[in-house]
Amino acid sequence: MPAFDIGSQLVNLGSALLLLSCFAIVAQRRLSACVDLFALQSVFLAATAALVAFLTGIHHIYAAAGLTILIKAVVIPNILKQVIERLNVNREVDMNVNVPTGLLICGGLVMLAFFITQPIIPLGALLTRDSLAIALAIVLIGFFTMIARNKAVTQIIGFLVMENGLFLGATAAAYGMPLIVELGVFFDVLVGTLIIGLYTHRLQDTFDTVDTSRLTALKE
Amino acid sequence: MNEIALAPVAVLLAAPLLTALLSAATNHPFVLRALNLGTMTALALSEAVIVGDLSGHGAITTLWGLVYLDGLSAFILLIIIAIGCTASVYSWDYLADHVARGTIAPGRTRLFFCLFHLFLFAMIVATLANSLGVLWVAMEGTTLATAFLISFFRTREGLEAGWKYLILCSVGIALALFGTVLMYYSSVRVLGDVSAALNVTILQQVASQLDPQVLKLAFIFVLVGYGTKIGLAPMHSWVPEAYGEAPAPVVAMLAGVLETVAVYALLRTKSIVDQAVPDYYTGNLLLLLGLLSFVVAALFILIQHDYKRMFAYSSIEHMGIAIAGFGVGGPAGTFGGLFHLLNHALAKSLAFFAAGNIHRRFGTREIQEVHGMASVQPITALAVLIAGLALAGMPPFSMFLSEMLVLSSLATQSFASDTLHLGRFITVIIAHDVRNLAVVLLFLLFAVALFGGFIYRVVLMVWGTAPRDVPSGERWSVSHIPLAVTALALIGLGWAIPEPVKGLMDQAVIVLLGR
Repeated sequence: MPAFDIGSQLVNLGSALLLLSCFAIVAQRRLSACVDLFALQSVFLAATAALVAFLTGIHHIYAAAGLTILIKAVVIPNILKQVIERLNVNREVDMNVNVPTGLLICGGLVMLAFFITQPIIPLGALLTRDSLAIALAIVLIGFFTMIARNKAVTQIIGFLVMENGLFLGATAAAYGMPLIVELGVFFDVLVGTLIIGLYTHRLQDTFDTVDTSRLTALKE
Repeated sequence: MNEIALAPVAVLLAAPLLTALLSAATNHPFVLRALNLGTMTALALSEAVIVGDLSGHGAITTLWGLVYLDGLSAFILLIIIAIGCTASVYSWDYLADHVARGTIAPGRTRLFFCLFHLFLFAMIVATLANSLGVLWVAMEGTTLATAFLISFFRTREGLEAGWKYLILCSVGIALALFGTVLMYYSSVRVLGDVSAALNVTILQQVASQLDPQVLKLAFIFVLVGYGTKIGLAPMHSWVPEAYGEAPAPVVAMLAGVLETVAVYALLRTKSIVDQAVPDYYTGNLLLLLGLLSFVVAALFILIQHDYKRMFAYSSIEHMGIAIAGFGVGGPAGTFGGLFHLLNHALAKSLAFFAAGNIHRRFGTREIQEVHGMASVQPITALAVLIAGLALAGMPPFSMFLSEMLVLSSLATQSFASDTLHLGRFITVIIAHDVRNLAVVLLFLLFAVALFGGFIYRVVLMVWGTAPRDVPSGERWSVSHIPLAVTALALIGLGWAIPEPVKGLMDQAVIVLLGR
């Protein structure tokens, strides 16, 4: 089926764009730009999901794509921007690992992801099977971002990137989770971001910094 | 649909949610207490009805297939409700006392109860959920509900502990979601696109057709994810911090119940994976992480100088023992693991209730600065002594029994299969014997070290001369009821397990062993 072929290529393109935006987030030094990149990544995600929905004719993926645009591309970036403004941390991102090394590590993580998923990729739906490896790569890069960056806001972004990877994984591997689960996950992510945002605010008030490497009162 | 089961299930879900909303609206202590008491009674009654139903039906599916209950979930539900009741009653005086001292603003008691009941609600949803996806959503819900409970005192340390908890558990749970996605991936391949493809009821039917490769990978992610929530080493670093800083009733719930519910999530996944993958795969992974947690915790207990952190490490240790029991599997190991979960929930909540009393009287968490509790707080001293001896694994407390069960299953784990090959594989048998012996000896060595360290510290706190500035004497009050009830249960279970509870555990073992 040539139409399916082009479709499959397009889905792969979408997943690749998601992965690319991950690298951009790792390379970005300004916090607000990181948030913008995350919003852009969510748009790519929604587009990929909508494409899968169109190609497979499974309608509930449209709902998930719509929610992604609403929550991850509009609401959450706005919350994060407000946090950044209120905290006045719109300067540079503090890093444990510098940008070139970080990018190199992320490259390694992508290879690792492909290596792990190698045995199970051939089992997947024809349309989207390569996306599973990319999804795992995005999850790992999100994980890495949380470890490698010190500011509380960048850790939230890392967590959200992980969540995007998971969503891509669910869409890619199984054409989306059951709707009730997806709604629950969106709810958790939204509330989670709100809570982490509030926490950041309190950290700022109490410690006068959102640099989490300064949180050292509790030591063994 | 099972008509009998609908009413208690509806109560289980509605009561804590309703109480959370109502608690947010009122600040009157009397109304809050009445609300708590009402909810807990309703929960306990529904649990009793469900246990009765289960003994007739075996498993219940209700609410359009969204809710699934069997022996395992009902057993976990029993622990949630039992500890929920005692923790809620304990928190009345605890909060009133802190408000009187000014460490908590008067208007914040309602926030406490609102979050407390949301936390309870999330855990009940987790145990009732038929879908593994909903189970995941509820587990993440527990993280969110407890985030502000841990930093409830708004101290620097509290905030730091809360932040670490929030970040570590969110990341962990995200990995568990990836595992769940993979489970779904494998079941969709068999079933086609069905919205019920993550339901336990469906997965149990098709489990043997699922792809073993995918399930193996899924189990690793789920293990790391929910393992973080259980506090298994090496993902345990949030445990001592959160348990050290959070208010006592919250810690009792975290240590006694949340860990248990996380174990439930793991066991539920394991019971499905085991049907497609040879069960030593999941078993060995659990055994490895369980023993690692046990050893790490035993070492860290020996250097603790803060009693709340000491109890926290003891949680990691006991979860390690229970997980090792499930890892060994078989009727003895599984039963031992389940029994250990119940005993740990009781002993640990007792320990933290007592720790809350000590902290309020002595104003310190340093073991070195707490002496002479026997004269200062005789009731609490007795509670600490009972909890301490039970947690150290002494008879006549029930924890001794479950620990022995797990230990004996560790010792005999592969004898049954070995005798079959007696003639041909003598060398293999010797290797197995030596390995078992080594594991058991190592276990005993650490258990003895831990026992010594633990008892030494408890004795240090209970006897000796009390500091002069600490007022003496303890009057009996409502907040002592939870301590008394928990201690009695701990002793009573050492003699006999009540028939309904025993029945639930037997059913749970059958669920877990898949036969």
